[in-house]
Amino acid sequence: MKEIMAIVRMKKTGATKKALVAAGVAGFTAIRVLGRGKLVTDSKTLEECRAKLLAMGMDDFTDAGDTEKLVTSFLDGSRFFPRRLFTILAHDEDVPRIIEAITRANRTEYGIGDGAIFVMPIEDAARVRTGETGEAAIW
Amino acid sequence: MLLIRAIVRPEKKDEVLAELSSAGFNAATMVDVVGRGKQKGIKIGGMVYDEIPKTLILMVVPDEEKEKVVKIVLETARTGTEGTFGDGKIFVSPVEEVYTISRNTKGL
Repeated sequence: MKEIMAIVRMKKTGATKKALVAAGVAGFTAIRVLGRGKLVTDSKTLEECRAKLLAMGMDDFTDAGDTEKLVTSFLDGSRFFPRRLFTILAHDEDVPRIIEAITRANRTEYGIGDGAIFVMPIEDAARVRTGETGEAAIW
Repeated sequence: MLLIRAIVRPEKKDEVLAELSSAGFNAATMVDVVGRGKQKGIKIGGMVYDEIPKTLILMVVPDEEKEKVVKIVLETARTGTEGTFGDGKIFVSPVEEVYTISRNTKGL
């Protein structure tokens, strides 16, 4: 019995749900969280992101300095971004399949901020409806 | 790897996270929760409040960094010199595998 905790982009919630159904595990719990990752030190990726964000934020109404400040705060690693935290209970043998499905559904071309997956052991589980415990309670 | 779940006062979260970040633990997930502790909530007048707002901070760190993170949270999340009821709790649980989606690799 394993608990899979996957933190993904808000926008990828639908894709993740679809991928889970395709992988044969439909059950999950999801909550809205705020998250940030480790500091990105790759200056090339950062520059690319910066240019893209600056281009998006430039208009006739906003002060260029404000936009620049905002973009800097986006990229210096101190800001928390909204993410979706999926919690999935699974049998041991299903874990690699689920991880593969989540990874495939969530990778983007940005190279950063796609989230993380944690696999944790679970001692026991119980199904409230029937009172079943252990492996039988998962599916 | 270990998962550290810290339940702290919402007004302390910024301080705790800033302290963790400056110690090199930038990555964290947080979520607003409600809860009560051993004191069964707080009683003000005739009203019992047992859904007290807290912030849950989730961090996954290598085993050897646990002590450092726990110490930082303990020191910064405490109110006053003695600490007060409601300052929160820290739970540590094992994590078997970690994957980073953007790099499609195993590990943090």
